[in-house]
Amino acid sequence: MKLIFEYEEETTEHVPDVDDKEEKRGGEAVEGITIELPKDLIRKELALPNVSEINVVRHYTNISRMNFGVDLGFYPLGSCTMKYNPKINEDIARLDGFKDLHPLSHESCIQGSLQLMWELEQDLKKITGMDAFSLQPAAGAQGELLGVMITKAYYKQKNEKRKKIIIPDSAHGTNAATSAMCKFETLTIPSDSRGNMDIYKFKESLKDDVALVMLTNPNTLGLFEENILEISDLAHTNGTLMYCDGANMNALLGITRPSDQRFDMIHLNLHKTFSTPHGGGGPGSGVLGVKSFLAEYLPIPRVIKQQDSKFVLDYTKQQKTVGTIRYSYGNFGMLVRAYCYIKSCGSNIRKVSEHAILNANYLLSLLKDDYELPYNRRCTHEFVLSSRKFGEKSALNIAKRLLDYGFHPPTIYFPLIVREALMIEPTETENKETLDRFAAALRNIANEIKENPDIAKGAPYTKLVGRLDEVAAARKPNLRWTALSQSDGKEDNEKKLYVEKSVKNSSSND
Amino acid sequence: MIENIRFAKEHEWIVIKEGIAIMGISDFAQRQLGDIVSIELPKVGSIFRYMQSIAIIDSVKASSDVYCAMSGEVVEVNEELLEHPEWINQSPYELGWIVKLKPSNMEEFNNLMTNEQYNKFIGEIE
Amino acid sequence: MNYSPITENDREEMLKRIGVRSINDLIMDLKPPLNEKLDLSKPMSELELLEHMRNISQKNKIMKYFIGAGSYNHYIPSAVNHLIMRGEFLTGYTPYQAEMNQGTLHTMYEFQSFICLLTGMDIANASMYEGSSALAEAVLLSSSYNGRNCIFIKNGLNPRYLEVLKTYCEGADLKIVNEIDHNTACVIAQNPDFYGNIENLQYMSEQAHKVGALFITCVVEPTSLAILEPPGTYGADIVVGEGQSFGIPVNFGGPYLGFMAVKNFLLKKIPGRICGMTTDSKGNKGFVLTFQAREQHIRRERATSNITTNVALMAIASTIYLALMGRNGLINVAKLSYSRAHLLHNKLKSLGFEALNKKPFYNEFNMKAPSGSLENIFSNLLKNGILGGLNLGEDNILISCTEMNTVQDIESYVSIIKETAITK
Repeated sequence: MKLIFEYEEETTEHVPDVDDKEEKRGGEAVEGITIELPKDLIRKELALPNVSEINVVRHYTNISRMNFGVDLGFYPLGSCTMKYNPKINEDIARLDGFKDLHPLSHESCIQGSLQLMWELEQDLKKITGMDAFSLQPAAGAQGELLGVMITKAYYKQKNEKRKKIIIPDSAHGTNAATSAMCKFETLTIPSDSRGNMDIYKFKESLKDDVALVMLTNPNTLGLFEENILEISDLAHTNGTLMYCDGANMNALLGITRPSDQRFDMIHLNLHKTFSTPHGGGGPGSGVLGVKSFLAEYLPIPRVIKQQDSKFVLDYTKQQKTVGTIRYSYGNFGMLVRAYCYIKSCGSNIRKVSEHAILNANYLLSLLKDDYELPYNRRCTHEFVLSSRKFGEKSALNIAKRLLDYGFHPPTIYFPLIVREALMIEPTETENKETLDRFAAALRNIANEIKENPDIAKGAPYTKLVGRLDEVAAARKPNLRWTALSQSDGKEDNEKKLYVEKSVKNSSSND
Repeated sequence: MIENIRFAKEHEWIVIKEGIAIMGISDFAQRQLGDIVSIELPKVGSIFRYMQSIAIIDSVKASSDVYCAMSGEVVEVNEELLEHPEWINQSPYELGWIVKLKPSNMEEFNNLMTNEQYNKFIGEIE
Repeated sequence: MNYSPITENDREEMLKRIGVRSINDLIMDLKPPLNEKLDLSKPMSELELLEHMRNISQKNKIMKYFIGAGSYNHYIPSAVNHLIMRGEFLTGYTPYQAEMNQGTLHTMYEFQSFICLLTGMDIANASMYEGSSALAEAVLLSSSYNGRNCIFIKNGLNPRYLEVLKTYCEGADLKIVNEIDHNTACVIAQNPDFYGNIENLQYMSEQAHKVGALFITCVVEPTSLAILEPPGTYGADIVVGEGQSFGIPVNFGGPYLGFMAVKNFLLKKIPGRICGMTTDSKGNKGFVLTFQAREQHIRRERATSNITTNVALMAIASTIYLALMGRNGLINVAKLSYSRAHLLHNKLKSLGFEALNKKPFYNEFNMKAPSGSLENIFSNLLKNGILGGLNLGEDNILISCTEMNTVQDIESYVSIIKETAITK
C-alpha cells in the first residue's frame, strides 16, 4: 500500500483560489487583498502531496479494508466494552444544529446543546447515584486526572497532608500514571485468592496519609469486590476518599449504583458503557461524577437550569473550582451519542447489563474446561482465563491464531496479576451463535497447541501481513515520511512547493 | 567468565577496575527481558544507594528497573547504548556495560554473590 | 430500543448451560441491589428518538461566524465524512493487534507525517485530546525532562488555554512565573497569538535555550502553517496545537484534535501513542504501535502521561482532509482566510474602528469599536444571523474570518454596522 505522500497529481478544487480583483457588486468595486507579510514570516516550502479526490477516496477506502471493527465481527476485548455503535446516533450527532454550533456562540443560540448537557447530567446522576457531573473529561484517563486534582484540592482546603493513593495490583495502568501526574505516591495492595483486594493488607496500609482509594468495580478480573462496603467504611472512617474507576459500568446498569457502594467519585467511559464508537482509539468521553460535598470543586463552566427554564453556562458560582481541564465544555459530539443511547434504552437499561452478564457467564461455561480459570467465582460482564498450561507466550500465540479464525482476539497480558491472561468481554450485543463459534475456535486452538504448538507460534497466516517485527520498529524507528525519496535518498524536489512564489510578499521590516 | 565478577540478587553484575565499579546486567537478566529497545541512563555525577533504581530498560512490552549494586557516584555512563540498546542482549558483560561508579563503600562488593553462588541462585529460580 | 439480539429462548438455553435458574442467580452478588427500576424516561424507538433530538437541535441557532478564538469554521470536503463513517474506521479499537488494524495504523503514520511536515518537527504522536490539554501535557513533559518546576508564558496565549495550564500546574506542583532563568522548565508562546499577531519567535527560543529551558510553540489555527514559517525553523523543541481547523466541525467545542510534535531528542519522553513502520517475516511493509514502554500500561506511575484513549478518528479525519486539500488547497484556504480577514479589517478601519494589532496578522485581528457602540453592534449583528466576533470588553473585539466568510457576508456585516451607527 502506497503512502499518500507518494502521489503527485492534479488536485480537486474544494476551495477556490483567491481572486486579486473581485467582481463588481452593486456598483461598488470590491478589491481583493494580496498577501503582505514580511519575508521572514513566509514559509519557504510545503512538501504536502497533491492528490485527486478519486485517489484519496480509493486510498483510504482500501486502507480501511485492512481494519477490523465491531461492524465486521466479534471483538471481545476485555474492559473495552466493544458493543454495537448505533448508526442513528451518528446521524443525530451530525444534525446541523449540533455540528455547526460554535462554542462561543451567544447564550440565546445554544439552548438546545445546554439542555442536552443538563439532561444528560441528570440521567447519569440517576444511573450512578452521584450528585453532580462534569462532562469535560475527554477520556477515562482525563476523568481520573480530574478526580485526583479534586482530591488534592479537597485536602489542601482541609489543611491535611495526604500524599498516598491506594490501588489494587489488578488496577489499570492509568490509575498509577494519573496519581503520579499529581505528585501522589501509589500504594499497591495485592489481591487475595478470591480476586478481591486483600482486606487485611488494605487495613494495614490505610494510614492517615492516604488521600484516596481507587478501585474498579467490578474489577479488571471481572469480579465484584465482595468487601466493597467494608472497604468504603474503613476508608471514610480514616478520612480517606473513595474513587471508582467506572470502566466496567456495563455490569451494573440498573442493578446497583456506585454511590450505594459508598464511592465519593466515579468516572464513566461513554465510549465503553454508553455505546459511543471507539474510532480506532478515540475520541471518547470520561465524565466525572461526584457526591455533593465535592461538587463545588468541579470545573467551570457548569450548566445550570434557571427558574425560567433557561439554561446558562455559569462561571462564578463554583467557589472551590479546580479550574478547567479543557478549552471547551466537553467532547460534545460524544455527549450527544451517549444521550441518545440512554434515551433509547430508557428505564429498561437494566437489560443491557443483564445480557452482558449472561453472555459472559455463558461463554465462560463453554471455555473453563479447556482453559484455566484463576479465580473460581461467578464472573460479571467479563472474565479472565489463563493459558499458562500451554506454556510461555501462549496467550500471544493464541491471540494471533484467533486472527486466522476471523475473530479479534481478547485482551492479553492484562491484568498483570494473571500469567498468560486472556481477558474476554463479549458485551450484550452478541447473539448465542457468535459465542458458540468463538468458544469452538478457542477450543480448537487449545487442541492444536497440544498436538503441534508450532502452528500458533507462526500465526497469523491469513492476514495481509504476518506477525510484525516490533523490536525492529523500536530499534530502528521509522515514525514518519520525509521528503527524501525513500528508496534512493535523493531529495524529491517536485514535492516541495515553494510557498513564497504563491504568496506575494512585501519588503517591509516588521 | 570474567574474573572477580560479582552479582546482586536483582541480576546486576559488578567488576572493580582501578577502584571503579563497572556495572551491567547478567546474561540471565537480558534473556528474561527479551529484545531491549531502549535504556534510560542516570546523569554523571549523581549519587545512588545500594538497591536504588539507577536505570530503566525498555523492551517491546515491558519496562524494568536496573538496581544499583554498589552505593556510589556515577562517573561514566555507556552512552553508546542509546544508539545500540541491543548490545545489552548481545554482549551483556562487555559492550553492554551500563554505568561506572566510584564506590562509597568497598565492603559492599564482598556482600555480593560470586559467580558460583549466582549460578546456583538462578538455578533455583528456573 | 434494545440493541441486544438475545431472545427469550436464548436466555433459557444459556442459563441452563451455565447451570442456574434465572438471571437473578447471576447478579445476586452485585450489592447493594436496586429495588426499583431507574427513574429514566420510557425507552424510545429510533423514530421517536430522531424526533426528540431534532427538537432539541432546533433550539440551537447557527449564525454566520466572524469568530475564532480557538474554534475555526472552515470548509470540510464532503468525502471526509463518507470515509470516517466507514465501520472499519469508526468501530475499531486501538490497534494493539497490529495485524488486524493496518488501516488505522497506516493512517496514523500519515497523520504523524503531516503534522511533522506542517510544523517542521521530527516526530509527532498520534494525537492528544485537544489543544489546551496538549499544551498542558507539553509542560509536564518539559518538567519531567529537565526536572525544573517553573514555567514562563509569553503574553498573548488564549485565555482559556491559560486557565487549563493553571489547573494542570496546580495538580503537578508547577509554578507560572514572570522570569526566564535556571528554574524555568519551559517557555511557551502561541503563534499566531490570541489577538492574531504573527512573530518570528527565534529570539524567544534563544532566551529559553540560554538557560536550558525547552521552547514550546502553541498553534491554535494550524491552517496558518500553510503560509507561515513553521516553529521547527525558529527553534521550537515542542509544538502543540489544535487541529480542529483540519476537517473537523466546530461541534460546540468537541471532539477536537490535539497534536504534539517534538525534536528527536524528546522521543523517549513524548506522551501518547506513536505508530512506526516495520516489516513482517516475509519482508512485507506494515505498521505497529511502537515505543509502548513509554505509556501508562507499561510504565504505570513512571509514565510521562496517563493518556490512553486519544482522538484517533479525528486524526483520521484530518489526515483525509489534508490529503483531499493537498498543498494547493491548503494554501488556498490560507490565502482566502487571510484575504477575507484583511478585507473586513480595512473596511472596519474606514468606519472608525481602531486597529490594535502591532504585528502582522493572519485571519484573526483585534480592534476597538467607536466608543460605546459595541453592545449595539453585537446585538444588531445577532438579529441578522451574524456572530460578529468575541467581545473582549471595553469596546474591544476579536474578529476572525475564513474561506467560509464570503465577500457578500462581509458587505452585510459592514452595512449592518453602518445602520447601527445611524440609528445610535
